[in-house]
Amino acid sequence: MFDIHYSSLTAVQTYFRNIWLALYTALIGMRLTWRHLFTPAVTIQYPDVKLKLPERARNRLYVNIDDCIGCDQCSMACPVDCITIETIKGTPDQDLGTTSTGNKKRLHVPVFDIDIAKCCYCGLCVYPCPTECIVMTDVYEFSEFDRRNLNYHYSAMTPAEIAVAKEKLRKYDEEQAAKKAAAAAAAPKPPAPAATATPPPKPETPPN
Amino acid sequence: MEELGKTILKLIPVIGDQLADISVLVFVIGAAPPLIFILLYALVTLYTEMKVSAHIQDRVAYMYTGYHGILQPVADILKLIQKEDTVPDSADKTLFRLAPYLVFIGTYAGFAVIPFSSAYMGSNINLGVFYLIAASSIVVIGLLMSGWASNNKWSLLGAMRSAAQLVSYEVPTALAVLVAVMITGSLNLNEVSKFQDGGIQNWILFGGPMPITQKLLLLPFTFITFLILFLAGMAEVNRTPFDLPEAESELVQGFNTEYSGMKFAIFYLAEYANMFLVSAVATSLFLGGWSSPFGSFMSGPVWGVFWFVMKGMFFVFVQIWMRWTLPRLRVDQLMYTSWKVMTPFLFVCIFAVGLILVL
Amino acid sequence: MDLFSVIFYVFAVITLGAAGIVVFSRNIVHSAFALLFAFFGVAGIYVLLMADFLAITQLMIYVGGILVLLIFGVMLTQRQIAVDIKTGTIQTIPALIIVSALAGTLVGMFWVTVWRTSGIPPVEPTASKIGELLLTTYLLPFEVASVVLLVALIGAAMIARREKKA
Repeated sequence: MFDIHYSSLTAVQTYFRNIWLALYTALIGMRLTWRHLFTPAVTIQYPDVKLKLPERARNRLYVNIDDCIGCDQCSMACPVDCITIETIKGTPDQDLGTTSTGNKKRLHVPVFDIDIAKCCYCGLCVYPCPTECIVMTDVYEFSEFDRRNLNYHYSAMTPAEIAVAKEKLRKYDEEQAAKKAAAAAAAPKPPAPAATATPPPKPETPPN
Repeated sequence: MEELGKTILKLIPVIGDQLADISVLVFVIGAAPPLIFILLYALVTLYTEMKVSAHIQDRVAYMYTGYHGILQPVADILKLIQKEDTVPDSADKTLFRLAPYLVFIGTYAGFAVIPFSSAYMGSNINLGVFYLIAASSIVVIGLLMSGWASNNKWSLLGAMRSAAQLVSYEVPTALAVLVAVMITGSLNLNEVSKFQDGGIQNWILFGGPMPITQKLLLLPFTFITFLILFLAGMAEVNRTPFDLPEAESELVQGFNTEYSGMKFAIFYLAEYANMFLVSAVATSLFLGGWSSPFGSFMSGPVWGVFWFVMKGMFFVFVQIWMRWTLPRLRVDQLMYTSWKVMTPFLFVCIFAVGLILVL
Repeated sequence: MDLFSVIFYVFAVITLGAAGIVVFSRNIVHSAFALLFAFFGVAGIYVLLMADFLAITQLMIYVGGILVLLIFGVMLTQRQIAVDIKTGTIQTIPALIIVSALAGTLVGMFWVTVWRTSGIPPVEPTASKIGELLLTTYLLPFEVASVVLLVALIGAAMIARREKKA
């Protein structure tokens, strides 16, 4: 019906054909919308009815701070810089425990903030995490009246604990410096590697 | 000076007396029903439009304000009343403020000659439809004024398009009206409705109350004319598929881009009122107006209002239905439709109807 | 002073006020829009004179046609939307003399003329009478006018549809 060869028609025929087609196709469209007028809606009434999210939905971030080794890789991977991590080195006399994946924790994590208002839900922070402690959950309703409330603090350390950790590190550093000075005075050898663990070298951002 | 003061004092009681005069009261009361009708009708149509558009797209529209969101139009109007009525800094302030009222006046003036029932019409003048077409030209000026005064390129473009469109489509509208007027021999819409009284077979759409042969000859022409009248009317109201003046994807909101609050509400009201006006004219001219489709069954002044509003609302529904079905026309297609399709077809119809009526 | 007089004066004030704005406004767009009210006032006065057909024709042709065209023209000829074309005053003194002479003549004529009203009551359905007269007594002028309009239309189409050079 629609594949007319216009070249075979005269101008007058084309004129009438066009008018006929305009009306006819408009009616086809109107028949379609008329049918849809009585089709049940495909939408749901959201706050009352909620769809089940897929298992791997990527919504609000969650950090299991007990497993965090403070490696800062998630913060590095974040394209919008919404993750802020501060660490304090642990001294050898402290046992910070191990994570559930068996990694040894060597750093205190006094600050682990995620500004979820900035988060773009790309999930790039999830892949580099060596202990799989930062994950995306299926929580998507977390509106707040104050934007500052969207800056989530995940660190479990109290100010007192932070102060203790800092103090210990300071004392340790002083001891080490004193030792080093003594060693340097004893023999001009190349300095020994520091006893404290530095974070492992940064891997490249994994393919998404 | 004293003389002047005395004259003014003398004047006031006279005007006061005149206002107390029954004739002025009759004018005021007579003019009120269309306004009340427009306000109520706008609420209903607002709701209908939202619901119809939603269901056509398999949605449900608002559900929370009252049963199935029935109070939402009231909430919308309340919101519009409370909104800040902004006037842009660089706008032509006087014209900007005047324009929405002018648009509404043009529309409301048209309602004066609409026969809501055999017993009521605002003004029973002889030149009914002719007056209506003339009054709608005030709307053009109002739109141009709003577009100009907004000092915004989209508004101005929208206003220009709108004026061009209205001026073009006035031609087919007037010609289509002429066909019905030729058959009835009267410009008064009440007379036209009365002419078609006595059942569905007497409607001009089906050839009018003529002898059977004449009726059958007239039928195709009146049918085409009615179709063109309705479509040209839709174009005059700037509804999709003819909504180029406010094409959202091109011109933001067209001539009412800069308007907010109550002024915007008045534009909206005028558009909805215009939708009914077009339907009312089409109904009065071709579908018997207030006359019952079942002859004397369910007829009378009160039933007249019922039938008239039902027929009008049906075509308002068709307009909404078409709006949510069809895409917008291109500017050249719009002009093509008016000048190269509707106008020549109507000339043929007028000629044919004239010939049939003479024979 | 009855109701008709009150309405007449209302329309007269509208007409004259709007006409004043047309003449004295510095903003040419305001002048153009003020014309609307002038035309509207005149139409109102026609209605009061029982010339309903004339009144509506006035609205239809002047407001719906000429004024729209005029406003289009004014809007499109402005170089920029933001800049208003100002109308200036020049040649004040000669203009004043000519205008006062003209006004004096008009007022004098108004004063001197004996205004007579015909006793015939106005014709009620004016439209049909006008129609009959146009198609019987005044058929020739009517047709000549339509031919002139047709010529104008064809001319406009010819000018607008200039063939593209290949």
